[in-house]
Amino acid sequence: MSAETVVTEPTTVSIAAGPLVAPILRRVVGMLAARADLPLDRLDDAVLIADLLAARAPAHLRRETVDVVVEQSPRTLALRVGPLRRGGGDALVGEAAVPGVGNVIEQLADELRVVEDAGDEYLHVRLACAAP
Amino acid sequence: MGTNAHDALRQVAEPVQAPAADVRYTCPAVAENVTAIRSGIGAFAAAAGLPSELVDDIRIALTEAVTNVVRHAYEVGAPGEVDVAVRLEHDLVQVVVSDDGRGLDAASADAAGPGLGLPLIAALASTLELRSPAAGGCRLEMTFDRRRRVAA
Repeated sequence: MSAETVVTEPTTVSIAAGPLVAPILRRVVGMLAARADLPLDRLDDAVLIADLLAARAPAHLRRETVDVVVEQSPRTLALRVGPLRRGGGDALVGEAAVPGVGNVIEQLADELRVVEDAGDEYLHVRLACAAP
Repeated sequence: MGTNAHDALRQVAEPVQAPAADVRYTCPAVAENVTAIRSGIGAFAAAAGLPSELVDDIRIALTEAVTNVVRHAYEVGAPGEVDVAVRLEHDLVQVVVSDDGRGLDAASADAAGPGLGLPLIAALASTLELRSPAAGGCRLEMTFDRRRRVAA
């Protein structure tokens, strides 16, 4: 396996829904984005997505915690948010729309999909940056 | 409401699980994650409005505890995870660091170094408990009392 394809084992962070979600999630995502060697502008994008998830995800949770699995590989960061209630994934993305700007998550993410697993929903968000 | 109605309601009601921790962080037990955990949990403690002195104590104790897992819990080169759970309850902060590794006996048998980690944690925390769960691994429970800092 070449160094370019190495994917580290995921990090899981679970935070009780409430005012502490945003400060923790932005710190963890920012740190792992830096470790994934994302350039500064994409690191900012990752933190912005973390803030959006922290603000919107609690309304769509299946449990009382915001659970995020973060996988990092060179110049790529993948987040899996959930479990969410049925329909929560699309609703969460829809709520990221800003008048006059458009949907922020859709514009920032390289890949965005809602996956169903055993009756639960998970939102997958992937940010990447091509090697210079 | 009769018992049958209660049972029926339980069956249709969506189960709600109370969180066991305010924040939980699970990641591979590797050296670079010591800083990551310290930073993530430190952000939690600071955002929760804990006194900076207490946040520093928690960060130091956590660093020692997670470093112990990285160094001793698993065979060299073997994959394994470290799990950190933090819960705030009134004036107490409970921090639990656990792993699925070889357990206390095997881990301490090959322990090299001055062995200052646990005494340091004991000095910083209000309580400290080290267990070997029946399922394996090791579990270190620490509590920090914010009132102790105020009184000191």
